[in-house]
Amino acid sequence: MKIRFGHIIGAFLITVSFSISAFAQISPGALSKFHTQLEGLSNCTKCHTLGDKVSNDKCLACHTELKVRIDQKKGYHSSAEVKSKQCASCHNDHHGLTFQIVRFDKDKFNHNLSGYKLTGAHSKKKCEDCHKAQFINDTKIKAKKFTYLGLKTECLTCHADYHQKTLPVTCADCHNDEKFKPASKFDHQKTKFKLAGKHEHITCEECHKTSVVNGVKFQQFKGVKSTNCTNCHKDPHANKFGQNCAQCHNNESFIVVGGVKNFDHSKADFKLEGKHVNVACKLCHKQKLTTPLKFTKCTDCHTDYHNKQFAKNGVSPDCATCHTVKSFTEFSYTIDQHNASVFPLKGAHVATPCFACHKKQEKWKFKEIGKACKDCHDNIHNTFINEKYYPEVNCEACHNLDSWNSVEFDHKKTKFELEGAHTKQTCRDCHFNKEKTGHATQKFAGLAASCTNCHKDVHVKQFETNGITDCKKCHTSDSFKPASKFDHSKTKFVLDGKHLNVACSKCHKEVTQQGETFVLYKTNKLKCEDCHL
Amino acid sequence: MNKTAHHIYLTVLTLIVMLALAAIINYGYSYYKISLEERFFSPDHALLKPSGILGHGMGILGSIFMILGVSMYMARKRYRIFSRIGILKHWLEFHIFLCTLGPILVLFHTSFKFGGMVAISFWSMVAVFVSGVVGRFIYIQIPRSIEGRELSLNEIRGLKGNIGDTLINDIQLDVESHRVIVDSIKVKSEYDQSNFMVRTFKKYFDDRRSLRKVRSVMKKNNLPKSQRNQVVSLVKNEISLNRRIERLTLMQNMFKYWHVAHLPFALVMLVIMVIHVGVTIVFGYRWIF
Repeated sequence: MKIRFGHIIGAFLITVSFSISAFAQISPGALSKFHTQLEGLSNCTKCHTLGDKVSNDKCLACHTELKVRIDQKKGYHSSAEVKSKQCASCHNDHHGLTFQIVRFDKDKFNHNLSGYKLTGAHSKKKCEDCHKAQFINDTKIKAKKFTYLGLKTECLTCHADYHQKTLPVTCADCHNDEKFKPASKFDHQKTKFKLAGKHEHITCEECHKTSVVNGVKFQQFKGVKSTNCTNCHKDPHANKFGQNCAQCHNNESFIVVGGVKNFDHSKADFKLEGKHVNVACKLCHKQKLTTPLKFTKCTDCHTDYHNKQFAKNGVSPDCATCHTVKSFTEFSYTIDQHNASVFPLKGAHVATPCFACHKKQEKWKFKEIGKACKDCHDNIHNTFINEKYYPEVNCEACHNLDSWNSVEFDHKKTKFELEGAHTKQTCRDCHFNKEKTGHATQKFAGLAASCTNCHKDVHVKQFETNGITDCKKCHTSDSFKPASKFDHSKTKFVLDGKHLNVACSKCHKEVTQQGETFVLYKTNKLKCEDCHL
Repeated sequence: MNKTAHHIYLTVLTLIVMLALAAIINYGYSYYKISLEERFFSPDHALLKPSGILGHGMGILGSIFMILGVSMYMARKRYRIFSRIGILKHWLEFHIFLCTLGPILVLFHTSFKFGGMVAISFWSMVAVFVSGVVGRFIYIQIPRSIEGRELSLNEIRGLKGNIGDTLINDIQLDVESHRVIVDSIKVKSEYDQSNFMVRTFKKYFDDRRSLRKVRSVMKKNNLPKSQRNQVVSLVKNEISLNRRIERLTLMQNMFKYWHVAHLPFALVMLVIMVIHVGVTIVFGYRWIF
């Protein structure tokens, strides 16, 4: 009875258990959240092959995007490490809803096996930095919540095209994967514009300008004109020398100028003329040839030879006021300009060379050299002429500016008024006594008024009275001959008769006495027989 | 099998179970303590997972142990041709051994994943195991012959010794002490009015009180220790027999109902286990084959 009763109860329980088992899961555990759609008895064979566990074919029947990669023999699942493995050996399931069906040590994962070797900065990135929907093009893969598929190996898959389609997409030709900047693999020498000189040391930014294009930072590399230097460089000469900068400049330095011979200074603001033409460049361009020079005033280069003698209110006039570039000694200062000065040139001064007045010593002197005659001229009459005749040593009391020799002096002011032939004599005739040596000795003051003081007594003292020969008794100052004031009738021998018509020499013969030859007038022949026989 | 050989036999069986359990725990603790979602990534997973070489093996071995343990014991118990092979009590002990070791192996085969249909089998197994432990308790409550056969009430009463005579003949006690000891082993009938729980507690405390009285009397009589222990042992045996006699009908009824739980659960476990094994084979998991 016991066994039978037990069997009945047992049969009941077995029936119940079968009923339960018919609906129960034979699954060994819940599928992961990625496979929840495969839960249920009817879905077992979607993954499992009867009699042969889980086959790769069934996995790949769903995971077609992976199958494509494997068929192409690309990617991690085609690598030697993986391709011989069963999917389920890594991607197992039935371990619960939260089971990580794809799990690996991100730090130790050998990305080389994926076919894309991580080097440089890529090796420091987190998986999620690249493996995200944003970088996936394939819409089917993109829609997946979690995948490492769908990324292409082209740089622009993940990286924004910094060059905005202006350059080829083969980024690795120029960039390495350590740093985007600088583009270490880029060789500028392979471009149309080979870098030389200073160009090799400047930053890219200096030629390849950065701007904002389409709302993002953009640095222009393509289409940067390089036909002329001025494509990049500002022409400091404002095109005065043309566009061929290399005529003078080179790549090494803008300020170190070569090809000076080619330089046409006439195109510069300061044209070389006159003496400047032959001056060595360095004489003006003491620093570098390109160092800006002041050139508006001569004193920008030249020292003020005149040491501010012409300065007005502390400012010297430009040299060009007087000088030209032809020569310093040739100057443009005109007589008119001089006449406008405090000392107008008149008379002989006009023809007087400048140095006669302005360079009495080694240095030229233009200021405060004096306006009086004595400031320039020697007073040759000093101590010879009483100053009362030329007060303050004013030469113009006698002389004029036209000629030294042209003297106008009122001799009446002296004790010896000039009359007759005296008025026709030069001063020198009376006041300068030329000695045998040829040296003339002047004498003004103390000069006696007697005729013999100047004239020779041709009569050899025949008419001397009391030691004085008074020529005026016979002669006038108009002419020595005839002795117009001589009256023969007032002599001891009055002329009458035939004597009136007899030549003087008939009676007054030349005689030589004591070495001198003279006409003897005092003959003392008063009787007829003294002359007549 | 004499008593010593039986002890060795039991000890060996117990040691096998304990060592197997210890070995599996020692080897697999680090794996089994991992959460279910993480176990796949453990290096031990391939070996200890339910379909792993060791995990699957434990499932197969545990199942065989249980099938053998049940079938052998049932055959020995139910079929006449096996009725003379060994003592039924030893078969029961071997049944307990196999059906303890089997569930342990199956437990580790599950790797503590109790889901799906096969969980019914597992929990049925647990029910069978637990009921087996309970059944073993009920089993020993019913006095049996040395071969394990249940004794009748009269046979049990016959087991009771005449403790009064023993006390008079072997041990010198005063009259009062003799009376106290003899009273302590008398069957009492005053519990019948109260309910089962109250009766149980009352009996328990009465028995303890009786034993204390006996010990007190023995002490008062200055008996040597060996005699005191002999008397206490006799009294304990008598009290135990008294209680067994009292519970005999109850235990016999409980044992009858116990079979209703133990065997059907075992059948349920077996049926679903067969399904589980079938499904496993169908899906290609054939262990080492």
